[in-house]
Amino acid sequence: MVQSPDIVIVGAGATGLSFAWRLAKQRPDLKILVLERGGHIDQRQGPSLSDDWELALQREFHANPNIRRNSADYPVDETATPIKPAFFNAVGGSTIRWGAHFPRFRPSDFKVHSLDGVAADWPVSYKTLVPYMDINDSIMGVSGLAGDPGNPPRAERPHPPLGSCAGSLRLAKAANRLGWHWWPADAAINSTDAEPGRDGCNNCGPCGMGCPRHARASADIAYLARAQEAGVTLSTHNVVRKIITKGGAATGVETINSDGRTEEISCKELVLAGNAISTNILLTTMSNWENPLLGKGLMLHPTAIVTGFFAEDLKSYSGPFATSIISQEFYETDPKRKFLRGFQLQALRGQGPLSTALGGYGQRLNWGGGHASAFANAFGKSMSLTVTCEDLPEPENRIEVDTKRQDQFGMPIAKMCYRLGANTRQIRDYGVERASEWLRTAGAERLTVTPLSVQAGFHIMGTATMGSEARSSVTGHDGRVHGIDNLTVIDASVFVTASPVNPTSTLQALALRAADLMGRRLAQT
Amino acid sequence: MPDETIIAVLDCLIPGDATGWPAAGQHGLVPRLHELLELLSADGPAQLQTVLSHLPEDFLTLPTDQQTISLQTVESTAPDAFDTVLKACYSAYYTDPGIRRIIEQKTGYEARPPQPLGYEMEPFDESLLEPVRARGPIWRKVP
Ligand code: SF4
Repeated sequence: MVQSPDIVIVGAGATGLSFAWRLAKQRPDLKILVLERGGHIDQRQGPSLSDDWELALQREFHANPNIRRNSADYPVDETATPIKPAFFNAVGGSTIRWGAHFPRFRPSDFKVHSLDGVAADWPVSYKTLVPYMDINDSIMGVSGLAGDPGNPPRAERPHPPLGSCAGSLRLAKAANRLGWHWWPADAAINSTDAEPGRDGCNNCGPCGMGCPRHARASADIAYLARAQEAGVTLSTHNVVRKIITKGGAATGVETINSDGRTEEISCKELVLAGNAISTNILLTTMSNWENPLLGKGLMLHPTAIVTGFFAEDLKSYSGPFATSIISQEFYETDPKRKFLRGFQLQALRGQGPLSTALGGYGQRLNWGGGHASAFANAFGKSMSLTVTCEDLPEPENRIEVDTKRQDQFGMPIAKMCYRLGANTRQIRDYGVERASEWLRTAGAERLTVTPLSVQAGFHIMGTATMGSEARSSVTGHDGRVHGIDNLTVIDASVFVTASPVNPTSTLQALALRAADLMGRRLAQT
Repeated sequence: MPDETIIAVLDCLIPGDATGWPAAGQHGLVPRLHELLELLSADGPAQLQTVLSHLPEDFLTLPTDQQTISLQTVESTAPDAFDTVLKACYSAYYTDPGIRRIIEQKTGYEARPPQPLGYEMEPFDESLLEPVRARGPIWRKVP
């Protein structure tokens, strides 16, 4: 382990590793240490190479840490939320477990208050983040197509779009008949063999359990080697359980390793790069600091799923499950609708035999008489649409940290307190109608509707919101915590609004920018 | 509880049909069920015992429709235990090599894992996007 690091980064996920790489490139003189509570996942030997591959989704690759219970996982109290937590603790973080859908937030997402009179504007603009999004795209390895009229003009994607399946073709033609926007999904997946060390996608399907070809990006694959080459040190199986403060500054962290040994590590700058839950827990361990806004304004991406079943055998188990096509027809506020903001429709492909029977992201097949024919009518013949709703930050939705309860690492336990707000419910209901319309137009003979996907708390945003003014935010535009100048938060807890699209592209751009700002600031001291 | 009862339970959950799908119990999945109950759930074996303890004593001798009604009752009175057993049953069935061969025969989905071979897909056809492009930008400009 590096002695007396200048910078300690907590978490080796999407933001921690990208931040570490960027800062090390800018400032090779700094000693940078990344502490990760989990270990390495060898994706080359991933479950999709074994006959029992589908079982992994119920066990070590389950999205919910309370069910998965790997050794690095910590419990989250989920009794007060209908949407359960979903994140992964390992080098690579939740990008180990993701579908790699990689859209960008739109310009309007950063100006919600100015445009719609709700929530707040970000202290950072879309334009500021674009150069960082481009850098990040080139490192993660993004497939897609420039020229999407749903988004501002952008650079050519590093890889051409992924292939098409019969189901996505049906949906594309149906969207054209409806006159709706659609576009091939941006995917943090290499569609070609162009990048040394990473093969192009071979359409195996279950990206959510790691990619043996390293076609699908994850933070470990994309950033770790680069960061280490730039001088960054990574320490795994090292749980940070306390922030040590002195006189209004963070002076270091207390850690516990897998042998139960505790250690204090001092640093000049501390960076929290886990998720909103771990950041809330860690911020409450600081003595002499509080902010009444911490924990408030939790935003998720409440998701309804409509599944269409077709007579044709679509072989919908083939192809990356989450990165087919999307529609952003209903993304922006439309005064003719009853709600503010909007939603994205994202096509999901079918799944393997077991996940089809268990319902996957849809509904479980009935047991008893008729089960066999239900399977025959579903397997390979379904396409689903997610209705991914933009949540507004509401104070009732929050993360509470209970300092009286402790987990196996001696840390307080966080509770997600969340309910669907009225605006979100209206978005969801309207979105389900539109998703059903799209699938019927595509020729679906039968639909099932899952009004709220339960194991889908993947995007945990807000609760340590960034802002221009200390009285209305927890961090500044660079993620630095108000009142603790050398403590920076770069995970999605700083998000001001949620947009209706996956956050990782925007999140990593913010992290790269925060690294540049820190590098410059430290050069002046 | 003897294996015959568990076989009968599995046969009720996945009865198969005349088109060539075997019933789960008759297919010999009881040992795999036990294995998966251990593997997939901290209290899987206990949950199976809960399900079995809720069945009527004459379950084995009941006609199939009555057995199904008994299990529906268990599903509503002991939902967590029933859910655990059902998941393990589906998991045993759909990961079984014999069932996977039947799926291959019926659908063409090869009885192999997704990797390393993957699947073929058609290249993306950009011409489909012509109407979308023709409509022009739909994103909202900001001040
Ligand atoms: S579908 Fe492609 S990107 Fe996803 S795991 Fe398979 S090979 Fe990797």
